[in-house]
Amino acid sequence: METVTLTIDGQPITVAKGRTVLQAAIEAGVSVPYYCYHPGISIDGSCRVCVVKIEKMPKLQTSCSTLCADGMVVSTREPDVVDARAGVFEFLLANHPLDCPVCDKGGECPLQDFSYTFGPADSRMDFPRRVFDGEGVKADVDFGPTLMLNRNRCILCTRCVRFMKEIDDDAQIGIVDRGAGSEIATFQEQGVHSLLSGNLMDVCPVGAILTRDYRFKSRPWDNPTVVDTTCTLCSKGCNTSAWLKAKPEWAKGSRLIRMTPRYNPDVNGYWMCDIGRFNYHWVEGESRLRRPMTRNGDVLEPTAWHDLQPRLRDRLRQARGSSESAASSVQAPPVRFLVSAHASTEELFVLKQLVEGLMGSEGLNAVTLAWTTSDKAQPAGTKFKVSRTNAPNVNGARDLGYQVGAGNEGTPDLSALRSAIESGQTAAVYVLDPGPDGSLGDTSWLIAARQNGTLPLLIVQGAVMTDLASAADFVLAGSAFVEKDALYTNDQGRVQAASRAIAPPGEARDDWSILVALGQSLGLALAYESAIDVRRALAATMPDTPYASADLLVVTRPVAARNWLQASNPSERWKWDFLYQDLPPVKGHSVQMEGISPRAAYIPLKLTE
Amino acid sequence: MDYAPAKFHKSARELAEPGGAFAYTPEHQAKFDANVKCYPPDQRRSAILFALYLAQRQQGYVTAAAMRHVAEQIGCTPAEVEDVVSYYTMFFTKPVGTYVLNVCRTLSCALRGAERVTAALSAELGITPGETDPTGTFTLIEVECLGACDRAPVVMVNDDWHECLAPEDVRRLVEDLRTRGPAALTGCHLHKEKAAEATS
Ligand code: SF4
Ligand code: SF4
Ligand code: FES
Ligand code: FES
Repeated sequence: METVTLTIDGQPITVAKGRTVLQAAIEAGVSVPYYCYHPGISIDGSCRVCVVKIEKMPKLQTSCSTLCADGMVVSTREPDVVDARAGVFEFLLANHPLDCPVCDKGGECPLQDFSYTFGPADSRMDFPRRVFDGEGVKADVDFGPTLMLNRNRCILCTRCVRFMKEIDDDAQIGIVDRGAGSEIATFQEQGVHSLLSGNLMDVCPVGAILTRDYRFKSRPWDNPTVVDTTCTLCSKGCNTSAWLKAKPEWAKGSRLIRMTPRYNPDVNGYWMCDIGRFNYHWVEGESRLRRPMTRNGDVLEPTAWHDLQPRLRDRLRQARGSSESAASSVQAPPVRFLVSAHASTEELFVLKQLVEGLMGSEGLNAVTLAWTTSDKAQPAGTKFKVSRTNAPNVNGARDLGYQVGAGNEGTPDLSALRSAIESGQTAAVYVLDPGPDGSLGDTSWLIAARQNGTLPLLIVQGAVMTDLASAADFVLAGSAFVEKDALYTNDQGRVQAASRAIAPPGEARDDWSILVALGQSLGLALAYESAIDVRRALAATMPDTPYASADLLVVTRPVAARNWLQASNPSERWKWDFLYQDLPPVKGHSVQMEGISPRAAYIPLKLTE
Repeated sequence: MDYAPAKFHKSARELAEPGGAFAYTPEHQAKFDANVKCYPPDQRRSAILFALYLAQRQQGYVTAAAMRHVAEQIGCTPAEVEDVVSYYTMFFTKPVGTYVLNVCRTLSCALRGAERVTAALSAELGITPGETDPTGTFTLIEVECLGACDRAPVVMVNDDWHECLAPEDVRRLVEDLRTRGPAALTGCHLHKEKAAEATS
């Protein structure tokens, strides 16, 4: 790799050729503020807060748009730079409403953070601010089905414009009018309609673009913990962070407060789609299964695990016994399993041991995998393609030897299962579906088979009360993806881990442990104490595959955001990690500004003092 | 996916008129096709100003439908076209009069009485700057320097300058335009020079 060496504030820094001065400064931990620069989109050079002094250059330069060169001598702390920067901040705040107390970005806002650190203490602008609020008009406007736009707060950095143009490939946002009249807008006020719209809240460095999902729901200091996990709503497997609201378990409302993307250059970059971002409410929703249930006549009655298990065991034994010939049990197993590709690799691994323990090496024939696919409406040239497969683990199932067809974009084949059930050859079906409602696709035929008696026994292990579950004889409450440590293998064949962010509600249990308990009650020697145990066994049986080191994958737990800066604007967390590594938890105090007289950071209010 | 159901406000931004279906006339289409060839294929967007100029030529102002048509022609999104339209004062998004009177109000013209020209035009037409008269013949606009400062005060009537327009002469110009139409546009030295060349 070709490198160049330059000096920033007296510190020699070597970076790859082609990096900008701002990127070099970030890498070296020198804090330089910026707004229009975002690592995921093109360089614009429009906000001017990143100015630095470069020796031999006649004027101050914007560091975000200046390439590093050998021998460059850069200064970010000389008085003229400090003054110029403070001047830019004064202008940025000229029209900014400073309504931080009611702004959702307050507390994780780069405008706040950088203004405290680098801006002047006071403003000389004594004219009224430009506002959009007025008779019948609000600054807050509809900005499509997922977003709201507050035009007062916008600092016109054009990140949102560039995001839509470059990443989404459908430039729906533009700047209308010009100069002091400029305003962010969509064509004829029709709003942003995109599967990636939620990312606009992340890229916006101020509280101008907000998602309706998060607006007015919480503030950064109410969400003191974050869990790094992965999304499981399609086979792309975006790396995400789940934000948890601080509240006692018994208090009303949900704990999961938002999902944000976590930077992974190989999978999702800085982004995630709206499906993964907004479709998490089912996890703590009304229809969530909180306890096991058994059928009594027409109703499903809540029961206790220790009551349910022996009854379930007896019914399953009976079902298996009803067609005793061993030959028929290989060709037409009396108990069949319908498993959603939302099941994690651990669960599939335990299930494999279970069916093989019961039916021998042909056991996997009794298992049918199901998932749904859908075409996502996205522009042709989009840089972030959401996968067709609406389940995270088709590849994981394939790697374990389950029959899922070839390729990433395949559709499940339920025909054999369906004919076996509808011809009355099957005595029991065990459904495992830890995904949201609908993950198995159409199940009306299965419900019908159970209701007209063709299928004598239906067991559903899942996370939500679906139509299928309400037709079942036994309902086992399992857990959703944010409630367990689980492996999923994405489109690219990457083995990724999701981590437990919240506990399963009520008496719901980890899905692998339900399967282990079932196996034990049927007389199998399954002995796992934790998901990590399962992972170890899995790693041992699959040497020379990515799974061999599965037990080494990090299991994260809710981490405290030690100060607001660290938990700040999630799409920019990488920045906080670099810039403020040694910052004490005091907002507005920058280690790098130590030793510089505070006066030098302000433009004096009266020029003649 | 369920979104928060709340209802919020619409922007009070003045939107372009939606307009009826719009497509270039064959003649304008040919002009556009010829013009767009002046730019490399990956910079087709450079033709956007000319494309909008043609659209405005065709129907007097640029409607939302016209912006969509231009976006299709250029291969960009309507938002990007609206961006450009809103930037330039010379694109109209509402109907304007047959004659758009652009009175220069920048320094040279101001010193030579541009304000009185505007006042005289306002009085003559019964409209204030930014308005169109009820017959739809005249629109009065104040603009910045038209680049003919040596012949101030200047009024640009559609695409033609009318130079050295003293406030007293305003009435005659308006009358002329009413009676003789575009033939009355002789106030520009370029016209005069052309005419002189032709006769010599
Ligand atoms: S809305 Fe946000 S991202 Fe868009 S220009 Fe304004 S401040 Fe920047
Ligand atoms: S692209 Fe797939 S994995 Fe990524 S956020 Fe969307 S649904 Fe989740
Ligand atoms: S970050 Fe450099 S000009 Fe905006
Ligand atoms: S000042 Fe009027 S044309 Fe230049």
